[in-house]
Amino acid sequence: MLAVSHSRDRNVKTYHRQGAMFIIVIILVSSVFLCGRLAYIMLYKADHYGVMAEKLHERERAIKAKRGVLYDRNGTVIAGNVSVSTISVIHSQVKEPERVISILSSELGIDEAEVRKKVEKVSSREKIKSNVSKEISDKIREYNLTGVMVDEDYKRYYPYSSLASHVIGFTGADNQGIIGLEVTYDSYLQGTDGAILTLTTAGGIEIENAAEDRLEPVPGSSIILSLDVNIQQYAEQAALKIMEQKSAKSVSIIMMNPANGEIYAMVSVPEFDLNNPFKLNTGQDIDASSAEGMKLLNNMWRNPCISDTYEPGSTFKIITSAAALEEGVVSLNDTFSCPGYITVEDRKIRCHKAGGHGGENFVQGIMNSCNPVFITVGLRLGVDNFYKYLNRFEVLKKTGVDLPGEAATIMHKKENVGAVELATVSFGQSFQITPLRLMTSVSSIINGGHSITPHFGIGITDSDAVNIRKIEYKNNNDNIVTEETTKTMRYLLEAVVSEGTGKKAFIEGYHVAAKTGTSEKLPRRNNKYIASCLGFAPADNPQVMALVMIDEPQGIYYGGTIAAPVIAELFDNILPYRGIEKN
Amino acid sequence: MARAVTERAKRARRQEKLRSHNYYDYSLLILVMFIVAFGLVMIYSSSSYTAQTAAKYNNDAAYFLKRQAACAVIGIVAMLAISKINYRLLLKRLPIIRITAATFMYIVACLLQIIVLFVGVDLNGAKRWLKIGPLQLQPSEITKVAVIIFTAYVIYLAPKMMDTYRGYVKVMIFMVIPIALVGKENMSTAIVLFLITTGICFVASRKKMFYVVAFISGTVLGGLYLILGDAFRMQRIDIWLNVETHPYGYQILQGLYAIASGGLFGTGLGESMQKLGFIPESYNDMIFSIVCEELGLCGAIIVVLLFILLLWRIFTIAINAPDLYGSLLCVGVLAHIAVQVIINIAVVTNSIPSTGIPLPFISYGGTSVVILLAEMGMVLSVSNQIKGY
Repeated sequence: MLAVSHSRDRNVKTYHRQGAMFIIVIILVSSVFLCGRLAYIMLYKADHYGVMAEKLHERERAIKAKRGVLYDRNGTVIAGNVSVSTISVIHSQVKEPERVISILSSELGIDEAEVRKKVEKVSSREKIKSNVSKEISDKIREYNLTGVMVDEDYKRYYPYSSLASHVIGFTGADNQGIIGLEVTYDSYLQGTDGAILTLTTAGGIEIENAAEDRLEPVPGSSIILSLDVNIQQYAEQAALKIMEQKSAKSVSIIMMNPANGEIYAMVSVPEFDLNNPFKLNTGQDIDASSAEGMKLLNNMWRNPCISDTYEPGSTFKIITSAAALEEGVVSLNDTFSCPGYITVEDRKIRCHKAGGHGGENFVQGIMNSCNPVFITVGLRLGVDNFYKYLNRFEVLKKTGVDLPGEAATIMHKKENVGAVELATVSFGQSFQITPLRLMTSVSSIINGGHSITPHFGIGITDSDAVNIRKIEYKNNNDNIVTEETTKTMRYLLEAVVSEGTGKKAFIEGYHVAAKTGTSEKLPRRNNKYIASCLGFAPADNPQVMALVMIDEPQGIYYGGTIAAPVIAELFDNILPYRGIEKN
Repeated sequence: MARAVTERAKRARRQEKLRSHNYYDYSLLILVMFIVAFGLVMIYSSSSYTAQTAAKYNNDAAYFLKRQAACAVIGIVAMLAISKINYRLLLKRLPIIRITAATFMYIVACLLQIIVLFVGVDLNGAKRWLKIGPLQLQPSEITKVAVIIFTAYVIYLAPKMMDTYRGYVKVMIFMVIPIALVGKENMSTAIVLFLITTGICFVASRKKMFYVVAFISGTVLGGLYLILGDAFRMQRIDIWLNVETHPYGYQILQGLYAIASGGLFGTGLGESMQKLGFIPESYNDMIFSIVCEELGLCGAIIVVLLFILLLWRIFTIAINAPDLYGSLLCVGVLAHIAVQVIINIAVVTNSIPSTGIPLPFISYGGTSVVILLAEMGMVLSVSNQIKGY
């Protein structure tokens, strides 16, 4: 019995042992497979997953590059940077939420409920306020609140706030230019942001003592502009004065060097505050995010000197004269007769002087700004020649000024131009041009025939303003007109001031040359006018050219009456300031 | 004469006692203690960040460590106590109710599983916990040990029936109740239970081929079930195959990041990045990935080797057990630990579709560690009954 039991037991043990052994073998095989799998992941796939994991752990915190400065031609800062701070809270690190809420809301002047919402929100990092002044942020830092982060940053700052606002432009939250020169030179000004690479937890909290990779930011280059703060300020005051006197809608003044295209001043009043570019200059409250608000803002930011076109009117007679002189279809002694109108084909085109100027030569014609004279001269030129000169004077091209949003000339298609169209174009009507285009073309006529590119940027420099790289502008043509034509034109335009319609541009001691203009805005017969005057001095060696445009003046609207005195006022001060001696 | 006989008998009994001094597997005991201690270290390492940063854990870095350590102490005391009790007591009828302790355990486990379906604490959409006062326990863990004890008992009652497939069917008729009850809320544990039962039956049977056939057909059927089953199961296959791109592959992918960051020797104990919130509940089922990250391939293989050593000790006790019952108990425990270790590591390494199985002794879980240690107590108790040679 005992033996039987024993043998059965042994038997049982044998197959148990086999079964258990089989299980152990399965376990061993599985383990070897799993260890192989581990080795595959940890050694072979380490790079693959390691890179993915690192990306996950690494948090890049940008260090803003300091934006380059805009200097005027004398080295005065027009657009600079101020140190500001961004205040944010890290929810999981805040120890005394009540204290944090009360201090932040009182120091930052934000509603307590709003701060509370942000402090109590479970997020890795919540921004409370950006662009906080250094003074306030220093104060907050002194409270030593745990979980409150004060990050220093730069903010664009315009020390002259509204000076040349349409030209300078402003930047957005990401340090990018939105309008004006800030856009044109954005790539130079921006610099390269740096970064702090840190390891963070899944919640985005930086791990202390983790090795930091720091990439230093490269500050942006600075730009030296041809603008002169003093000239700009002076021009702005003159513009404001005449705008107020004439209750005009707006006044634009451009002053530049006709020899090389450097722009000294570009004013379009009303200007706006560059430090608060989203506030309307009319004082009206708007919602900047609404379509209506955006439209109003875009209107305010628009630079009429380059983005708006207008009918130049009589100032364009400079172009017609130069073309006619250059082509030889007129000489100064040619005589004309003005009965107060001229008939072209079946149309009767009036002169601005109802009774007519009577008999006059070409010099008197330009002095009187007599329409029939210029119609006659324009018709003598003919369409082909006229267009030849429009092209040569680059009237139909954009100037290439270093500002965004330049408008193109709106001119008849050549094949559609008949005698009537040619006649109207000859005295500056029926087409549109930007003020700067007109100035630029006139410049090349009176500077000896040199094509110029009007511009603001004259140099690029490092942040230290030591090494200056000159910005070069291309010159398409040095023979736009002959030296002879230049001289004649200077003489004619000086005559306009000394004896003609531009008398009020005259100043003692300088030879000022000018041409005035009065254009009726479209649609006609609304009694809306643009009074303008284009002048330069000294007439025999032009160094400053100025264009004054008064948009919708009330009362008297003749350019010669209201715009010409502004030219005189400007030159009276600017010429001595530019060191141009009286003679 | 009579006196001489008694003398002889006395001497024989004395000699018997001397010769057959009871065996006790101290190496197994030390191995278990070591793995438990290692588990505590890893729980502290993987959970301290989570615990520290969450108010619901009192911002106490040692929150999980303390709770697990308390359970480990209870488990070790239970293990030592059980190891000194003869496991054959399980076969004795209890007073009053007149059923064996093994049957009693089986009934209690089934009842607990039923109760948990009704009053269980809902966590992550599954009712798996029972709350009794301050204690929370997972009845499915108790069911595991009850299944081991009861399967071994059923086979012990009629070992010969295991020689035909009918025996397996009979065992499964009993086991289908707890397995189904567990499977209602926790499919992965049901699979573990099924594999434990099958493992014990396999060892007890002379007809091994039947199991091989059954295993293969089971795998095929299981595969079909997964593929033809509902979208949720199919999704798991999808995640498994496209872990890097699938939106729900997050947890496994994070685990793979951790493992891959380990390299040969790891980033060092406590230096894991992935435990910083990237792997959710990194102290639970995914703890092995943190072991890999911090201790590297070498550490991971050492952990696997420790488990193999542990299983080997259980195996030797199983084949040397004084009777069939003790042997089958040990096989059950062996199967339990082996199945969980293999499935856990396979899931963490994305070798199989994901399923939530904790790593024995190391993953956080109080009930689990207490039950596992109690099971080790049973194995030690079996070892204690082996007569010395």
